[in-house]
Amino acid sequence: MTSTPDSTEMFLRFSRRSMFAMLVVVAVLGATAIALVLSPAGAVSRSVGRIGWMIPIAIVILVTATQGTLRGRRWSPDSPEVKLVMEDEFRRTNMLRAARIALIVVLVAEWPLALLFGFLTQLPTPRAAMVMAAATVTLGLLTQITLFLFFDRD
Amino acid sequence: MADETLHNTLKVQRAMRDLTQADLAAMAGVTRRSVNAIEAGRMVPSVLLALKLARALGVTLETIFSLDGPATSTGNTQPS
Repeated sequence: MTSTPDSTEMFLRFSRRSMFAMLVVVAVLGATAIALVLSPAGAVSRSVGRIGWMIPIAIVILVTATQGTLRGRRWSPDSPEVKLVMEDEFRRTNMLRAARIALIVVLVAEWPLALLFGFLTQLPTPRAAMVMAAATVTLGLLTQITLFLFFDRD
Repeated sequence: MADETLHNTLKVQRAMRDLTQADLAAMAGVTRRSVNAIEAGRMVPSVLLALKLARALGVTLETIFSLDGPATSTGNTQPS
C-alpha cells in the first residue's frame, strides 16, 4: 500500500463531491423527466426545447469542475488510494445502509405515487406508468445518495 | 444481548503513540473516516478491520475493544 494520508483524503473528498454532483444531476434530470411526462406542452417542455442542448454541456462542466479538484491526479481504479477509498469499510457500510433504506422508502412511496399519478392527475395509463417509473427511479436515487452523504459525513 | 455495547480505547491508544487519525489509517490500510467513525462509536468494525487496527498499534484486540454489559452464557461451559 503506497498511498499517503493526504492523497487518500483528496480522493475521499473527490468521492463526496462526485456524489453531490450526481445528486444535482439526478434531481435536475428526474424533475425534468417528470415534468415532461406530466405536461408535454407545458412550460418545462418549451424550455427544454429551447435550452435542452445546454443540459449535456452543463453536465460536462460539472464533471470537469469536480475532476479539477483532483489537482492533476486521475481517478484510476488501479491506484492504491482509489482502491482504499472504494474498499473502505465505513463507506461500504454506509452505502449498504443507504441502499436498504432507499429500497424501503421507494416501496412505501409506491402507493402514494400511484394514487397521485394514477388517479388524481387522471393521466392516460401509458403516461401514468412513465411518470411512475421516472418518479420511482428519481426518488430511489435521491434517497440513496442523500442518505449516503449523511451517513458518510465526518 | 441488546444491552451489550462495544467500547473501544482506540483514541487513547492512538494518543499514547502520538498518532493522528490519518497516520493510524495509513498504517492500518483504511481511511481516516473509518478510524474517526470507530472512535466516535458510529461504526462497529469487522473483525478484519479490528485486527488490522490492533496490529497497526501493536496491541491485542482486547486492549482496544471490550464488550460492556450483562454477562451472558456463551454456551462454551464444560459439562460437569
